[in-house]
Amino acid sequence: MKNRLRVLRAELDWSQADLAQRLGVSRQTVNAIETGKYDPSLPLAFSLAQTFKRRIEEIFEADPRQKVGG
Amino acid sequence: MSDAPPDKNPTQSPVEPLYTHPASPFMRTESNIPPKVAGIPGPTPPAMQVQSTWVTYRSQIEIGLALLAYMMLLVGSVTVLRANPGASWRYVVAVVPVLPAALVVFLFVRRLAQTDELQKRIQTEAFGFALGGTALLTFTYGFLEGAGLPDLNWTFILPLIAVLWGVGTAIFTFRYR
Repeated sequence: MKNRLRVLRAELDWSQADLAQRLGVSRQTVNAIETGKYDPSLPLAFSLAQTFKRRIEEIFEADPRQKVGG
Repeated sequence: MSDAPPDKNPTQSPVEPLYTHPASPFMRTESNIPPKVAGIPGPTPPAMQVQSTWVTYRSQIEIGLALLAYMMLLVGSVTVLRANPGASWRYVVAVVPVLPAALVVFLFVRRLAQTDELQKRIQTEAFGFALGGTALLTFTYGFLEGAGLPDLNWTFILPLIAVLWGVGTAIFTFRYR
């Protein structure tokens, strides 16, 4: 799943650790989401949306090539 | 009556610190903290997340202490059993080390439940790797035993699981980097 996390984070001048702390997850989790290696759970996606004050669709974009449940 | 301010401790602040002397080889450095002026509050220190060792490593410390208790009780239990091989209560003493071992399991599972979602996924994959790897290796060795290799003790299985779990954690952690 594609996402704009890195851009949104840069706009606020937050490090991965800053964002991780706000979300209550590890820095590695933030990095894995940013690089598209890990898709967050729905609650974490909502937390991200709330943190950046945006809708989930403005942060994440479905990758048509990706299989659901993969 | 002394000339020095009453709150100054002569052992802590030398009369002429090295870096203030004009002949001093030490470069005088400016402090980035402005001196406090009476009535004006000093600058607020930068917000730092100071966490005590206990908060950061609570689970690790608890599991370590439980493991220590397990080892101590194991040594004690074995010692007592050797000294009293025919005692009627020997079965009770023999299973006493299971209590701290059960505590280790409880603390470990609690720690797993507290980790974040990516860590849970990594651990699930690492456990799958450890389970599958152990099954493969034990079956393989079982066949080799049938062909004539010496019989191994069952207690080898837990360390094998632990090693494969560690390897699996490293592999799957690297995969999500």
